[in-house]
Amino acid sequence: MENLGLFSQLGDNLTQFLQYTGFANATWGHILMIAIGLVFIYLAIKKDWEPLLLVPIGFGIIIGNIPLFPGLNVGVYEEGSVLNILYQGVQQGWYPPLIFMGIGAMTDFSALISNPKLLLIGAAAQFGIFGAYAIALMFGFSPSEAGAIGIIGGADGPTAIFLSSRLAPDLMGAIAVSAYSYMALVPVIQPPVMRLLTSNKERLIKMKPPRAVSQTEKKLFPIIGFLMTAFIVPSGLPLLGMLFFGNLLKESGVTRRLAETARGPLIDVITILIGVTVGCSTQADKFLQWKSVYIFILGATSFVIATATGVLFVKLFNLFLKEGNKINPLVGNAGVSAVPDSARVSNNVGLEYDKSNFLLMHAMGPNVAGVIGSAVAAGILLGFLS
Amino acid sequence: MKRLLKIFLLSGLMLAGIQLNGQSQSDMCINEYLVYNTDDFVDDFGHKSGWVELFNTSYGTVNIGGCYLTNDPNNLTKYIIPKGDVLTKIKPRQHILFWADNQPHRGTFHLNFKIEESDEILLVASDGRTIIDKIQIKKDLDTNVSYGRFEDGIGSKDGSEGWQIMSRTSPSTNNSGANKESASAVFKRIDPYGVIMAMTAMSVVFLSLILLYVVFKNIGKYNVRKNMERAEKSHGKKAAKAEEDTSAEIYAAIAAAMHLYTMDDESHDIENTILTIAKVTKNYSPWSSKIYTLRETPCKK
Repeated sequence: MENLGLFSQLGDNLTQFLQYTGFANATWGHILMIAIGLVFIYLAIKKDWEPLLLVPIGFGIIIGNIPLFPGLNVGVYEEGSVLNILYQGVQQGWYPPLIFMGIGAMTDFSALISNPKLLLIGAAAQFGIFGAYAIALMFGFSPSEAGAIGIIGGADGPTAIFLSSRLAPDLMGAIAVSAYSYMALVPVIQPPVMRLLTSNKERLIKMKPPRAVSQTEKKLFPIIGFLMTAFIVPSGLPLLGMLFFGNLLKESGVTRRLAETARGPLIDVITILIGVTVGCSTQADKFLQWKSVYIFILGATSFVIATATGVLFVKLFNLFLKEGNKINPLVGNAGVSAVPDSARVSNNVGLEYDKSNFLLMHAMGPNVAGVIGSAVAAGILLGFLS
Repeated sequence: MKRLLKIFLLSGLMLAGIQLNGQSQSDMCINEYLVYNTDDFVDDFGHKSGWVELFNTSYGTVNIGGCYLTNDPNNLTKYIIPKGDVLTKIKPRQHILFWADNQPHRGTFHLNFKIEESDEILLVASDGRTIIDKIQIKKDLDTNVSYGRFEDGIGSKDGSEGWQIMSRTSPSTNNSGANKESASAVFKRIDPYGVIMAMTAMSVVFLSLILLYVVFKNIGKYNVRKNMERAEKSHGKKAAKAEEDTSAEIYAAIAAAMHLYTMDDESHDIENTILTIAKVTKNYSPWSSKIYTLRETPCKK
């Protein structure tokens, strides 16, 4: 009799334990999301698509979609859990400005300073954000949600996370994953648009080599740049402030250690945390909905619009420029930021038509201008819609 | 001197800290009050009495523990708001309600005076001297009718501007705007297709970057001119022109040439993207030899 009681107790315990396991709580949604996470890891490792982002996000998706028995206080949405504490940096929006500081500390604005008219291409490409905003409104999203979705067109992961955490926290997972996925797909999305909108003659334009930029100009750029942009759009302060501050650390020449920390260990730590926690936030029950599908469609649309407007703006701009000062429209795509991938795309497409036409340095101008432009655009959306 | 500077900076920081604390309390204001309460809100004890609502106008938490509320300008420390009560930490843009029932033993939020017996109410900082806000009591108010600011935290201190007889009392909640349209809803109504947003936002983005363009275009011009002047001064006009023509491409070509050179003579190590400048370990060199650098004494024949 005692043995029977023991077995029954053991059986009960095992049954109870089984209820806690992922196998008992799994749904088709969890399995699908885990598969998506694995695809991200595969793309990062095998295809080398943004591995620094896709590996943490991909693994984060897997972590976030392990089927859990509710109440264990381990899930990313369970208050006080480890993942939830790490997720606060995303939710409260303090990871993105720290990443921006690192970006500032690793970005050389020389190309932009030597040819400041390239700044305007960075502004034109932001039309992708507002084009997607308008389309999102037509899809039935509220203006706040549309603003958060539109920012995907800024091709800037931290900015997308920052803005969506403020305007549409519920959509943040889908927006972040969409933004990073399309940033990885820049070499696939942009070239057809660039080829479609340019003639052979335009693709062969050789741009005037940039002049050498003095150290004083490099030091002045973050200070003046910050003052001017932040005074116009104070709501973009966290992003703009940290971006230009990071750049000042780099260019001041006296804070080498701080600059190295900002562009090295600090940005690496934050990238790991932001990647994993954003991945975790894509729990099947929150992520697998029609809205996410729309967000992915709108994200792709915004990238296409941003690329097209960047290229078309250069063509328009060339009408007013003297011969010899003309800009190759193939650098127009770089205005969408996605540093430095879109600049690399400009260079590669340019080389396809002329083996001696290296556009990389010229494209870096609009590329970094795009970072400033998208931060300004985020500030405007935040100011209007929050 | 450095020590003095450090002490000066430290004192400055400490003063700023003290000042900050003061500034936080100064963000509080009297927001609404009810004089005669017969059929309005009841307190935790089921009693009806007049009340005063304070509002935190800032975007940071303010601890009002230690501040004073009084109805007597000659006795600014009449009622001390107890310290150490977590409820006296007022969250950003939030309200707190004090019952003016002359029953302070009932808790932190029960004052030791009645509002109907008062001409004015004063909120005093924790130093017991600084008046943060004061308001004249409007005695001709009807029963169960409160007097408050149109918008929370906005309006004059004497109650002449920005105050109104409230259409309904709103203790511990917004005076207006409880049903206020959100910014998103306003945009949905006035700009359903996103055209206004796109035009406005793109104008601002362009304006920001055009300003940067103008400034850096001029800084660049100034810099180039200065460099030319400097080069002219030291090398003459031709050299200045050559220096102006030195572009990043030339530097890139020089770097490429150096890279190729180091690849050829095997002085480079195995990493093909790193330029290694080998350390000269030879201590003796004919170039540094004194024998060769000394000049012979000229022959005076």
